[in-house]
Amino acid sequence: MSAIAPFHGFGLGLRRTHYADFLEGEVDVDFVEVISENYMVEGGKPLRVLEQVREKHPVILHGVSMSIGSAQGLDEDHLSQLRGLADRIDPLWVSDHLCWTRTSAHNSHDLLPLPLTREALDAVCANIDRAQDALGRPMLFENPSSYLTFPEDEMAEWEFLSEMAQRTGCYLLLDINNVYVSAHNHGFSARDYIAGLPLDRVRQIHLAGHEPGEIIIDTHDRAVSGGVWELYADTIAQLGPVATMIERDDKIPPLAELLAELELARSLGRGNAGAIAA
Amino acid sequence: MTGLAQRQAAFLGAILDDEAPLPTGWGDERAPGLAIYRNNYRTSLMEALRSTFERTERLVGEDAFRRAAAHHCIMHPPRSWTLDLVGKGFPETCTELFTHDPDVAELAALEWAMHEAFVARNTKPLTTAGFGEACAKFTEGDWEDLTLTLVPDLRVVGASHDLVRLWSSLAADRAKPDVVPCGEAQCAIVWREGERPVFALRPAWEGAALDAFQRGATFGAVCAALIETLGEEAAIAEAGAMLARWVGEGLVEKLAQGVVASPAVTPLSPFASDSSLSVR
Ligand SMILES: [Fe+2]
Repeated sequence: MSAIAPFHGFGLGLRRTHYADFLEGEVDVDFVEVISENYMVEGGKPLRVLEQVREKHPVILHGVSMSIGSAQGLDEDHLSQLRGLADRIDPLWVSDHLCWTRTSAHNSHDLLPLPLTREALDAVCANIDRAQDALGRPMLFENPSSYLTFPEDEMAEWEFLSEMAQRTGCYLLLDINNVYVSAHNHGFSARDYIAGLPLDRVRQIHLAGHEPGEIIIDTHDRAVSGGVWELYADTIAQLGPVATMIERDDKIPPLAELLAELELARSLGRGNAGAIAA
Repeated sequence: MTGLAQRQAAFLGAILDDEAPLPTGWGDERAPGLAIYRNNYRTSLMEALRSTFERTERLVGEDAFRRAAAHHCIMHPPRSWTLDLVGKGFPETCTELFTHDPDVAELAALEWAMHEAFVARNTKPLTTAGFGEACAKFTEGDWEDLTLTLVPDLRVVGASHDLVRLWSSLAADRAKPDVVPCGEAQCAIVWREGERPVFALRPAWEGAALDAFQRGATFGAVCAALIETLGEEAAIAEAGAMLARWVGEGLVEKLAQGVVASPAVTPLSPFASDSSLSVR
C-alpha cells in the first residue's frame, strides 16, 4: 500500500449553501472536504459542482457510510461507487469513521460506537484491508465522538486506533472536538488520549462545535469552543503542521464567518497561542 | 453469530424500537446515551424525508407529516447505505394513510420522481435534427419495429388532480393548497432539463405510451394500443405529434430497431385533449 504524504493547509467542508461562493469567487482555503456519499450519484448538479470545485482546490473525500466496524463486512456496492468517485475526483485522500452504521438487516445512518474489544479490532482491521484494497489506496479513519461505552471494553480507544493503524497501514483523521466530547462523556483525559496516539499517522485534523451539557453532544452547529481550541493548540505543538479544517453541518453561517474561524486555526498553526483569547 | 454481530444487532434493535429494553448487560447508566442515538436516528430520517417531500409536508401540515414519516420509518427501516433512498416507498405509505385524499400520494410520488431525476445519469438526448436524419429513410416496417431508449431521468406519475396548480400553490410556506381534481385521467411526466427537474401534465394515454416504450414496446405496438384508445384517425395524428414532442423536449436518448419480441401493450387510458400544461 502506498503512503500518504503529509499535506499542510487549512480547509473547509463544502456545503450546498456555499456552492456559489466556491464556484464564482476565489475562496481562501488550501483544500475542501466533501461528504463522499452526497456525490456518489449517477449524474446531475452535485457531480458537476464538485468537478468544478476540484479544478480550483484539492478535495478530500470524507465518508459517513462505510461502516468499517460492521461484523458482517463491507457493502460492496458502496465500495465500488466510492472507488468510482475517487477515480473521478483524484482526492488528496479518502476517509471515514471508526464506527459502524449498519447490520446486514438495517442501516442507522448514524455513526455508532464500537465495543473496544480484540474481536472488534480484528473485524475493523479485516474491513480496512478490504476497503484499502478495493480503493487501491490507504485511507484515513476518524476517531468518533460517543455517548456510551460497552461493558465488554478491553482497551482504551487510543490503543484501539494505534493498533488499527499499525496493523493495516491506514492513517488517522484526528477530530479534536470528538476527543474533547468523548473525554467529557466517558471521564478520561483528552491529553492522555492524544499522547497515546501514533501522531506520525495523523494526516488531518477536524475542528467543530458541540452542545454542552451533562452529556456533550457533537452537533457541528456552532463555533468551535475555547476548550477545543486549547486542545488543538497543544496537539499541533506536538504534531507540527497538519491539514486542518472546520466542520459545520447545521445552522451553517455565511462563508465569511467560517473563514474567520479558520483564520484562528491558521494563527494557532503559526504558534500564536495568544490568539485563543482574542 | 459472533459476539460483535450480536452486540450490533441488539444495539440497532434498541435504536429502531423505542420500547425495546436495554441490551443485555447494560445498566441504566447507558440509557441516556442510547436515547441520544435513538434521537439521532429519528432526526436524520425525518430531515431526509422533510427535504425530499417539502411540498407534501406543506399540503398535510407538520403534525400529519411527522406522523406519516414516523409510520414510514417504522414500517420500512432503511436498508441502503444511502440516505437518499429513505423516501423510497413514502408515496405508497401516503396512499395507505391518506385514503380520502389521493392528492397527497400523487404529490409525494411527484416529489419522489423529481428527487430521482435530479441525480439521474447524464445523457445527450437525440436532437430534432438527429431524429429527422435517423428516420428520413424509414420504411413503414421500420416505423413498425421502432423502439426508443428514453432518457434515464424520465418518470411518469399518475395524476387525478391538477398537480401543476397544486405544485405552484405550495411553493412557499403558509401557502393555501389549491387542490383541483382533473376532469379526465392525467399523468405528470418528470424529466431533467439541464440540471433542473421539471414536470408537465399530460393525458394518461401519453404516460402509458412512455411507460410502454420504457419497457421495450415497439412503435407499432404502441400505435395499436393508441388506436384502441383514441380511434384510428386521432391515434395516427397523435402518435406522430407525441413522438416529435418528446424529441423536442429531450426525452429520447436513442432509436433502435429489430427488437424480436415487443411486450403486449394494453389499451391506453381515455384521451383528454388540451391538457399539456407545463411548469417548466
Ligand atoms: Fe469530524
